[in-house]
Amino acid sequence: MANINPKFGEKLKEYGAENFNACYNCGTCTAVCSLSTPEDSFPRNMVRCSTLGQDQEIEASLKPWLCYYCGECSLHCPQDANPGELMMSLRRWLTAKYDWTGFSGLLYKSLAVTLISLIVVALGVVGFAYQQNFELESLMHYGHYFEMIAIGSVFAVVLVPNIIRMWYFVIIKPKKKVAFATYFKASGDFFVHMFTQKRSLGCDDNQVRWFEHLILVFGYLALLFTTVFLDWFDSKNLFVIALGYIESIAVFVITADFVNSRLKKQKAVSTHSQPSDWLFVVGLLLMGFTAFLVRLAIDMNMIQSQLWIFIVHLIVLAQWALIVVPFGKWTHFLYRSFAMYFAKLIELSK
Amino acid sequence: MSSTKNSVSYDALVVGAGIAGGEAALNLAVNGFKVLLVEKDLSVGGNMIKLSKVFPTLDCSACITTPKVSEISRHPNITIFTGSEASNIRRVADNHFVANITRQPRYVRVEDCTACQLCEKACPVSVRDQYQFGLIGRKAAYIPFSIASPKAAAIDIENCTLCGACERACPTNCIDFTQEVEHLEMQFKTVILATGFEMFDANRIPRYGFGKYKNVLTSLQMEREIAPTRPFNTILRPSDGKVPDKIAYVLCVGSRDASVGNPICSQICCMYSIKQSQLLMGALPMADVTIYYINIRAFGKGFEDFYQQAKGMGVNFVKGKVGSISETENGNLMLRYEDINEGIVKEEEHDMVILSVGVLPNEGTTSLFSEEQLMLDPYRFVHQTDGLANPSHTSIDGVFVAGTATGPMDIPDAILSAGSASSEAISYLLK
Repeated sequence: MANINPKFGEKLKEYGAENFNACYNCGTCTAVCSLSTPEDSFPRNMVRCSTLGQDQEIEASLKPWLCYYCGECSLHCPQDANPGELMMSLRRWLTAKYDWTGFSGLLYKSLAVTLISLIVVALGVVGFAYQQNFELESLMHYGHYFEMIAIGSVFAVVLVPNIIRMWYFVIIKPKKKVAFATYFKASGDFFVHMFTQKRSLGCDDNQVRWFEHLILVFGYLALLFTTVFLDWFDSKNLFVIALGYIESIAVFVITADFVNSRLKKQKAVSTHSQPSDWLFVVGLLLMGFTAFLVRLAIDMNMIQSQLWIFIVHLIVLAQWALIVVPFGKWTHFLYRSFAMYFAKLIELSK
Repeated sequence: MSSTKNSVSYDALVVGAGIAGGEAALNLAVNGFKVLLVEKDLSVGGNMIKLSKVFPTLDCSACITTPKVSEISRHPNITIFTGSEASNIRRVADNHFVANITRQPRYVRVEDCTACQLCEKACPVSVRDQYQFGLIGRKAAYIPFSIASPKAAAIDIENCTLCGACERACPTNCIDFTQEVEHLEMQFKTVILATGFEMFDANRIPRYGFGKYKNVLTSLQMEREIAPTRPFNTILRPSDGKVPDKIAYVLCVGSRDASVGNPICSQICCMYSIKQSQLLMGALPMADVTIYYINIRAFGKGFEDFYQQAKGMGVNFVKGKVGSISETENGNLMLRYEDINEGIVKEEEHDMVILSVGVLPNEGTTSLFSEEQLMLDPYRFVHQTDGLANPSHTSIDGVFVAGTATGPMDIPDAILSAGSASSEAISYLLK
């Protein structure tokens, strides 16, 4: 027997959910959702679980990750219960649930904690620069090392354990039997979804958003690769330099469009912005833009005199790598891909 | 061109000659008061006269309405103006209202018309028949419907080509194209509002395909298909004339739906859909009828038994609101819904779909008054200032309200409400 826990709804409200208790279970949301299938019918099921406080059920469910928030459900909801935003809030809640450090939850729930951690990281970077006597050479050197070490340790300490926790909640705890070989069989799906997000194409009228998102993902990953492994800021190779410019421009132009969309609240997906959403899009925008400026300053031989540009970039980079990537919205990139992988595992094991 | 006649005085003005307005007028008239009954339509009887049967007793609706209508029409204390509207109602003193009455020309002298229908035969213009909710056509010279009162022809001047064929065909020379709009100013002691409701326009929910898919009908269209005075004399689907054998009802179309601005329950749709399903089961014994619902609200006297009776007859009840409808190649319809009992999204094919449309307020009611403000409730029905103790009182002293002008209700409740409004009005008149 499942226990009813009405307090769970209060908790979800801290993650941005609103008014979902108004649901009268008509199922319109599920019926109008173009991604809902007989095997995975949502979002009403998740609304019901949230109202009743069935957190164990939600924790074991991949449904929140199967939703790409086209907003049709919220548009047609006869009770204005906003199921689309509930699904978004459940993704935030799940992100916090998967995170063993518990820091994700703090960031989602408290704007103060978010701001304080951003400031602490920024002060740390400035302090480090001061310690290095604001010497460009050593700052760039350590900056480059920082990227590599940060990526490695964030994955090892936070993201990999969190993925394992997700796997535990979704497969092991609900006692889903998955044969060992299936893990290899399903791996194709993992990469396809990670790099194409093709499932989101199933949302009606989503082609433009999907294409923008695709360019952003590739632009971001390529920029990461170019700066870390091709050492963009120190490169003399014209091709690498040009590549970095294109990638950084792609990143900040598309994120600027996303920011604009959130400001103007054009689509359902951009009408309810939590601090975590702003942190993600604005962080990505600044990453692309400051990287672009740094390289521009290098090419114009201004970087020595305009060292502040590099320090700003370093601050944005550190905030991104230490806060947004391990604990913030960045993780949806991983969780969505793994959700599709786990869903395939469960499907193949039936 | 218009003319203004001298002022005439009545005890009461009743606006709207549906079942509630008619009942209120009759109650006043029987008690000796002079009543002017103003109806914007060409016939009295309102919505009820167009219905098939009534729930939960399955009595013939027309058989209850027509004797009542005839009593109203013949009562010496009642003057009926059809094709007319009241406006600019204002109080000039206690117990004294003045109203402007506008009478649209019918272009037929009603007293001379024998309803022989020769003008209909002669008229070359065909348009959709609003009294059959567009299921069939009618002529521009036409008798509104077979049990209309007054049963007399009218000329639909909007669509008329002024060819004169009806005039030549008319054996009593009752067609008169020289009629003009009449503007009258009249005096009343009290006013009863029985302005009724409007049905939700199913076009407002494009994902149900009404207007696009021919076999998606509204419940009022189905009401005509199963009425004794039905247009096809059988039940068929519009796209190809096939007799349907798998019919779906979609409940709560435009009611209990905040996304279309009407969050309240229309109170009648569950029961009229159950009524129609029973009539369909009787008319088409081999047909499957499925009702997709959110909740079945069978709250009134005899309603639950009526619901159980439908279940017993084999009507299929599915809990889950239909999300969208698409059309297949043969004109069948695919309904997508979540089966709430199983929590699974499903698709089901039907060859005819009935949208059980909800009840909306008649938006014209407030503009009847020019000096005092008639208050509306949050859903834009007429506000009952003392809803518990004096449910017929409005925000204007001496103005009473009856029937669905106050909110959705079924026929017996509308008649009860008319009784209340008329007795309140009588008390006011005798004060």
